[in-house]
Amino acid sequence: MQASWKFTILYLLVGLVFFPFAYMILLSLSSEWRFPALLPSYLGLMHWKTLLGSEKGLLNSLFSSSVISVSVALVATSTGFILSRVVYYHPRKRWLNLLAYFPYILAPVVFAACLSFFFLKMGLFGNIQGVIVAQFLIAFPYALLFFSSFWNERLRSLEDLVATLGGSRYHAFRKVILPMAKGMLLVCFFQTFLISWFEYGLTSVIGIGKVQTLTIKVFMFIKEANYYYGAISCCLLIFPPIVLLYFNKKYIFKKMA
Amino acid sequence: MFLEVNQIVKSFRREHVVRDLTFSLEAKRTLSILGKSGCGKTTMLKVIGGLVKPDSGTILLNGNDVTQTKPEQRNIVYLYQEDLLFPHMDVFENIAFGLRIKKIQKAQLDERVNQMIHSLELEGQEHKMPEQLSGGQRQRVSFGRAIITNPSLLLLDEPFGSLDAGTRQRMQLLFKKLTAEYNITSLFVTHDLKEAVLMGDAVGFMSNGHLKVYSEAQDFVNDPGTGVQDEIKFWNDLKVTKS
Repeated sequence: MQASWKFTILYLLVGLVFFPFAYMILLSLSSEWRFPALLPSYLGLMHWKTLLGSEKGLLNSLFSSSVISVSVALVATSTGFILSRVVYYHPRKRWLNLLAYFPYILAPVVFAACLSFFFLKMGLFGNIQGVIVAQFLIAFPYALLFFSSFWNERLRSLEDLVATLGGSRYHAFRKVILPMAKGMLLVCFFQTFLISWFEYGLTSVIGIGKVQTLTIKVFMFIKEANYYYGAISCCLLIFPPIVLLYFNKKYIFKKMA
Repeated sequence: MFLEVNQIVKSFRREHVVRDLTFSLEAKRTLSILGKSGCGKTTMLKVIGGLVKPDSGTILLNGNDVTQTKPEQRNIVYLYQEDLLFPHMDVFENIAFGLRIKKIQKAQLDERVNQMIHSLELEGQEHKMPEQLSGGQRQRVSFGRAIITNPSLLLLDEPFGSLDAGTRQRMQLLFKKLTAEYNITSLFVTHDLKEAVLMGDAVGFMSNGHLKVYSEAQDFVNDPGTGVQDEIKFWNDLKVTKS
């Protein structure tokens, strides 16, 4: 009896987790769904066809978001990894790590306002390159802090050992450090991709409406009270993270465990 | 002399860790170095291995001044207390690591690694990963990985410190066998009196950054500063109490 209650609560919780996703898909397929109707009067792909093939440019936004997020994740992960090593060996590593928290003290919009003058001067306002740089400034410190736990005295000893075995720093990095960090590199790539993918504040200020990522589109549709289009954007928005989460779970976490 | 260390000094900030370190060692010989924790043994080995730069002094290896030579060009291998096997490589690849860096041809590499595996009594374990090995086996792989590169000098920093008594004894015998087989010159740092006497052709005692080398084992035993007399007294007193 007690066990059946536990299962009921468990299924209820699972249902609560999945309900918003199911509802979002239903909403994206619906039309003319007004109170007090229990079910929508139309259920089909009408909105999907309209939105994906129209001037609203949802596919363009998907493409822009993908380019921006993959670029940010790649650059932030690689530079974060390399520079976290430099920070670890630096005599003032604690101060440098503390500085990495700085971008998170400010709200993204305030941070973007602080940066806007420099971005304007450098011609990075209102274009994809500018948004990539701005998002990098958020994702990079994250990567730096993420990898700070990777470096330790054992790794330093391994690097020294490679040196005494006749290997250069490149050998140590390529043959020992990089293979050992593979799992963490992939997790960091995933995390920084997500930071960039769902970023709104910086993108809206630096992109000034010219760079329309999927997140910007979702907010735009919600502001317009167009919930059906908003739901379609959300479906596209959560699809890549779900794919990444699946690969993370299947290939990476298993290896790291 | 094969290794000549002359007046090496090393300080970290205001702390003098190694003071006026001077000693020499003939080729194919082992010098055991005994000393308490924090007396400067590890720093001394790292200076000789090129991992730490000395403040002053010179190191000559086979007549060549290697004081400023990079560690990867010295042909001196430093072995830690921990085995430090590469966790993503199996036994074969761990042992072959130094040879792969030197770009040795595959056939020769396979032959040398297999011969080393035989010397280490690790046949059948070639494709095991480090986490599948016991502490003694891991330390053997670590030895093999160092010795196979044919180093001019082997620096051992308490290599058996983490092993149990039985495994330790077996490893000591194996080390003696390997040093003879591969003509190894080595500095063997330990904090174990018995091990120091057993492993070394000569014994040195390090205290507060100073190293004193005893060419005769009896001189080492008779010196009250080494603690050997205290050890003998302890066992003698125990014998008297028991009887």
